[in-house]
Amino acid sequence: MAETPFTQIGRALPRREDRRFLTGAGRYVDDIALPQALHATFLRSPHAHARILNIDSSAAAAMKGVAAIVTGQDIAQWANVLQMAPPIEGLRPTAMEPFPTGKVRFQGDLVACVLATDRYLAEDAAEAIEVEYEVLAAVADMDAALAQDAPRVDESLPSNLLSEQHFASGDVAARFKSAHAVVTACFSQHRQTQLPLETRGCAAVWDEGRQHLTFHTGNQVPHPLRTALARRLGLSESQITVVCPDVGGGFGQKIALYREELAIAALARQLNRPVRWREDRLENLQAACHAREQRCETRAAVAADGRILALELSMTEDFGAYCFFPGNYIARVVALILTGPYRIADYTYRVRVALTNKCGAGPMRAPMAMASWVMDGTLDEIARQLGLDPLSVRRVNMLTPAELPYTMPTGELLEDVTPSETLEAVAAAIGYDDFRRRQAEARKQNRFLGLGLCTVVEPTTYGSRFYKAAGILGSGHEAAWVRIEPTGTVRASVGLMATGQGYESSLPLAVAEGLGVDVSNVRLELGNTDVAPYGMGSRGARGATAGGGALYLCARKAQEKVLAIAAHMLKLNSAGDLRLREGDVERLIGGAWTGTGIALTDIARTAYLDPLALPPGMEPGLDVSQAYDPPPMTYSNSSHACEVELDVQTGRVSILRYVVAEDCGTVLNPVVVRGQQQGAVAMGLSGALFEHVFYDETGQNLSSTLADYRVASACELPNFEILPMHTPNQRTPAGIKGMAEGGVMGAIGAVSNAVNDALAPFGVTATHQPLTPPTLRGLLRGRI
Amino acid sequence: MAERMLITLSVNGVAHEVAVPPRRLLSDVLREDLGLTGTHVGCEHGVCGACTVLIDDRPARACLTFAVQMEGHEVTTIEAVARDGALSPLQQALHEEHGLQCGFCTPGIVMTFEAFLRDNPDPSEAEIRDVLSGNICRCTGYQNIVAAVRKAAAVMRGEAL
Repeated sequence: MAETPFTQIGRALPRREDRRFLTGAGRYVDDIALPQALHATFLRSPHAHARILNIDSSAAAAMKGVAAIVTGQDIAQWANVLQMAPPIEGLRPTAMEPFPTGKVRFQGDLVACVLATDRYLAEDAAEAIEVEYEVLAAVADMDAALAQDAPRVDESLPSNLLSEQHFASGDVAARFKSAHAVVTACFSQHRQTQLPLETRGCAAVWDEGRQHLTFHTGNQVPHPLRTALARRLGLSESQITVVCPDVGGGFGQKIALYREELAIAALARQLNRPVRWREDRLENLQAACHAREQRCETRAAVAADGRILALELSMTEDFGAYCFFPGNYIARVVALILTGPYRIADYTYRVRVALTNKCGAGPMRAPMAMASWVMDGTLDEIARQLGLDPLSVRRVNMLTPAELPYTMPTGELLEDVTPSETLEAVAAAIGYDDFRRRQAEARKQNRFLGLGLCTVVEPTTYGSRFYKAAGILGSGHEAAWVRIEPTGTVRASVGLMATGQGYESSLPLAVAEGLGVDVSNVRLELGNTDVAPYGMGSRGARGATAGGGALYLCARKAQEKVLAIAAHMLKLNSAGDLRLREGDVERLIGGAWTGTGIALTDIARTAYLDPLALPPGMEPGLDVSQAYDPPPMTYSNSSHACEVELDVQTGRVSILRYVVAEDCGTVLNPVVVRGQQQGAVAMGLSGALFEHVFYDETGQNLSSTLADYRVASACELPNFEILPMHTPNQRTPAGIKGMAEGGVMGAIGAVSNAVNDALAPFGVTATHQPLTPPTLRGLLRGRI
Repeated sequence: MAERMLITLSVNGVAHEVAVPPRRLLSDVLREDLGLTGTHVGCEHGVCGACTVLIDDRPARACLTFAVQMEGHEVTTIEAVARDGALSPLQQALHEEHGLQCGFCTPGIVMTFEAFLRDNPDPSEAEIRDVLSGNICRCTGYQNIVAAVRKAAAVMRGEAL
């Protein structure tokens, strides 16, 4: 990093978590030994849409090792319905049973739960349950779902249209009238799934004597999960402890309280016996959580130089069968930030969300990822139709530094971002002008190169004011505590939960900086709701800004108390000329920081063991709490440049180079940040090129193994060249912005734009992802 | 279901007498019966590679192996890679190069390349990526894992870095 005012923040330290993971000593939920625990397995629907007429589990119940078999009728007595009814205009309220009773809504939906002494026996018994179904017509895609008289996924609603929202700013109609040209473009993003390498799972232990539930699970948001469990089980929050051990990836899949987890918790309580569940991969691919199935159409009014005068967006999302989240929110953020770093004042959108007979949808790392592909893809379509260079079209539309801060047409404020700097940086690094020459040369030899650009403004941290403005119940704040123990060792906690991001190696730097100690003296404790303060957890890219910000401010507050004690010990009137640095109190004397001979260890001992030596009226101990609510939204920004070669005979896409310039403000630990950048780009490329949750027209999931749901391997991904930039956010503690999702956004757009650049000589454009060989060969058929 | 079979399972140089049903997977016996939970189960159909262990020093999927097949063979798991608390050169390089994030795939990758580096002291990047394609990592994008394997190979060859 460049010069910073920090001594701890920004240190490139290898991770603390690594040793336990490298030696097999990590502790994931399925590694926790629980004597006498029953193992659960779920019987799932083979049909996409069916009424459950009868369940006969008599033969299964008599099988070896079986302790209990329960259905939705049983669980309905022990758990409450999930009402999803936020006061959002255009969104229909829904209610979800704890476990299906009368009807299943997708293939893989829940039918029964078997508990046995081991998982093999539970699965044997599940196979012996006889279920009689009345199969119903299913809607397996969003257009079928929104057709007149379509079978209704949720029969309490008048149609499958879950949400419809409109927005208009400026005078779009007038701009279209005066436009040089009108350019339309289509973008279809396919269904994907988060695919954490550790599937879902949980273990519930009910203490009958104390009437207390301990719930072990890998979850991104321990406290909101506890609140949800309490509400659904009719317990108080004080009766539940959620304990999150190491988590093998989340990516948005481990946020909601799923029905399986609710059932396990309810059963542990009913049977007064530990119950555990480990999802298998087939269940994870069929029934955990899906994402990203969205279609966008844009219509742009443009000037002769490619300048966008007005933009219209029409978007439809397939939300699946159930609402674990408010149905409008993912699609709405795409529409909200679509115009990104471009100068567009006249903008209108229409966003519709449909229910279908498929697994319920939710957030996946960068839920709004499609926005950057749609926006930069629209710019490329303008360039193609007007015969302009894609980079020059970006330059005429992009906000210049002088135009910032800038309020987007939707009211979103962009500040402390540098989109033109990142764009020029990647164009220079990838050799944009020379590429066009190489591309022309290659085409003469029947080789087809393509270069794609994509610039991202990444919404990172959503503050409470964003939620309030969006009409969503909830908070964007985060909470922290910092405790200096009597020996001077520092413990800290925050309401986030790590799922691989390396929090133990980044967040202590914020504490160390704020307090004035070396980071080696700080230990971070996460994931136990009895220990951590109530926070909103890890989602979006809020960890560093909301969590790191809360910890930094909390540590500063702790330093104030430490220095007040030091001033008293030094018989000074004020602590104004004191600071804590590397655990020692220093005093500014004649312009130089000078040692005082007092260390944090002395002050800690005094605070706990000699409270009468404290300043009059000060409470003993060094135990400080702090909550922090970030600005309504913070943004990072990046530009991506991707060079591909398309084999027109096979349709194979090879990535030859990948360059990212990313400005994510102050970074806590650059090692961790670089890893997040690489991982995010990899997930975006994998999704755009390979991954596909595929349903046939009857709603059968045909991608239920890892042989069918393909993710990128080491052979398909390139090395990423990253150009780091660090413009601090002026409004956040230490200038932190947040990051880790923008890479997904940029990769989806850059690789798609690159493939279309390679396809250009054939007069075809890929509008549907994934960009698999069959898709691309289909476009080229008859044109080579 | 068939009766349990009594077998001697040699894991990390220790012989264990275990009675297991013939269909019980090696991965489950290692994790649940022997408490060696460092071997992770990511897919149970042999694709993800998280459960990779060494059987007679060759990488193999513990989720595609029945424990009863292991009579007379030697199984090595992640727990035996670090010696006397010291990380192996590969483990150390993965740490230094930030070659892991959530850590769930990591034991399988370590086992795959502990064997590979014994036979291939100076692999190219393409060779490393080819072998690594048998292990799915959802977090890192693989770049730092490749760098770590190259670094470990150099260290094991005794080259100064």
